Amino acid sequence: MVGELAGNYSTVVLMFAFGIAAMAPALIISRMVSPRKRSNPVKFLPMECGQVPTGEGRTHFMMQYYPYILMFVVFDVMAIFLYAWGSALLELPKSATLPMMGFLAIMFGAMAFALYQSGRRKIW
Amino acid sequence: MSALAPKFKLSEFIKSLLDNAFWMVLLVSLIGLPIIQIILFYIEMPVIDGELLTPFLAMTWLADPTRTLPIVKAFMATDMFRVMAFPGFGFAALIAAATIFVERKMLAKLQLRVGPFYCGKIEGILQLMGDGLKLISKEIIIPAKADKPIFWAAPVIFVATAAAFVALIPVAPGWVVADVDLGLLGVFAVIGFFPIITILSAWSANSKFPFIGGIRALFQMVSFEIPLILSLLGVVILTGTLNLSEIAASQSSFPWIIFLPVGAIVFFITMLAELERIPFDLPEAESEIVAGWLTEFSGMMYGLVQLGTYLKLYAFAGLFVVLFLGGWNGPMVVPPFPEELLTGVEMGPLTVGPFPGLPLFDQEMLNGTLWFVLKTVGVIFFILLPRGVFPRIRIDMLLSLGWTKLIGLAFVNIFIALGLLYAGVLGPGGLQ
Repeated sequence: MVGELAGNYSTVVLMFAFGIAAMAPALIISRMVSPRKRSNPVKFLPMECGQVPTGEGRTHFMMQYYPYILMFVVFDVMAIFLYAWGSALLELPKSATLPMMGFLAIMFGAMAFALYQSGRRKIW
Repeated sequence: MSALAPKFKLSEFIKSLLDNAFWMVLLVSLIGLPIIQIILFYIEMPVIDGELLTPFLAMTWLADPTRTLPIVKAFMATDMFRVMAFPGFGFAALIAAATIFVERKMLAKLQLRVGPFYCGKIEGILQLMGDGLKLISKEIIIPAKADKPIFWAAPVIFVATAAAFVALIPVAPGWVVADVDLGLLGVFAVIGFFPIITILSAWSANSKFPFIGGIRALFQMVSFEIPLILSLLGVVILTGTLNLSEIAASQSSFPWIIFLPVGAIVFFITMLAELERIPFDLPEAESEIVAGWLTEFSGMMYGLVQLGTYLKLYAFAGLFVVLFLGGWNGPMVVPPFPEELLTGVEMGPLTVGPFPGLPLFDQEMLNGTLWFVLKTVGVIFFILLPRGVFPRIRIDMLLSLGWTKLIGLAFVNIFIALGLLYAGVLGPGGLQ
């Protein structure tokens, strides 16, 4: 049963594999066709608009707006839970909507608090 | 006079032609045909007209044009055809390529320019082919300290993931690569891979501009994923299914955009953000960070990323059509199949046919494909249009738009759907 359910998705994986199999030759042909001239010292440097690059490429980067990522982790799961409810809604009794509204209210409260904090703290 | 080589001799020329022909016949009959036979022996052959297609029969039928059609038809029923050609990669790549050309030409017209003009006699229609040749013949330069395996793999995986997205979009009744029960969740799962690929390629390039662009892409895609998911919940509430084919079939009398315009607008805006199109093209902002996460890609790698981007664009437009605009539903405009082709056509003294295997496609499928393509092209036009009109917005405006306004509107959309359902307008006992 589980295998059957997963087997339905095999065509998606097949399409993914076909995408790789069809596009990898483009890179290989390009590698065979294209000229590969001798290198000079600046050819393989990372692009920095004509300047000689300084420092590391993978620098420390200030993660602004980081709390949005934290909020994402919570709300993404919430959204998928809502799908489990929404797709079965036609078979459920109407009273089953009430707990869902309570759930939404709690999530809304949490989100409003988070956004309120985002207005108060300048680092967001 | 000297058009011919100085030592040209007709006899030697004919001899060389015969030589080549001899070797070709020899190689084909000794190596080519046995290889085809061996391949045909090992793959599973279909049963056609109550007759198992043996390798010998297949070769005979391929030489006989009246018997080729059943083989073609049997091939069209396989998964491989769907993946490679019609609802799958070939079809989507064709639309993606057309989109690239139309975008350049249309933007030029919007801004009173000419656009591609010289390549090809008519309005530069060969520009795309020229671009492809240019990209494939350019040298691929990889930055010195890049993480080479990931950097090479990123464009290919990007295209493949976009292709997996395309696989879930139904084009006509029964014509979808992967007809799965949880198709919509499959779409969300595939969309979730794009930020990962972006940040991986940005990190592996070991350069500053791709890194900044990758971080921006991560923020943008991740924070617009929630309004994207929530804005589609209204459709799921009204249809009660996650299967995309069933959602499209449920709109035979009216498309959902009539009842859920708020959801459609929110989905359209999040679509622009997920596709990194203007006004949300912060990850590729060319006036700030060169080309964002695409900076270090050169030659065919850049071409592949472009192809993947436009495949993704087609898939998103197709998803919008399937969810809100009724998918393949539309009035029947394709004329009925000519009956005389089934019985045989009289051409003077001769009777041609009947052709076994016809019709290759039924009228419903042709009609569905026509309407789907028309609607998709319309949606693609509206996705391209802002690029000629709007400026880029700031990243804090983007995030506050996504997190406050769009999520709020998505919830309004959910309550509209619930209200329609419980007021008895739609759903069981309602209009449907």
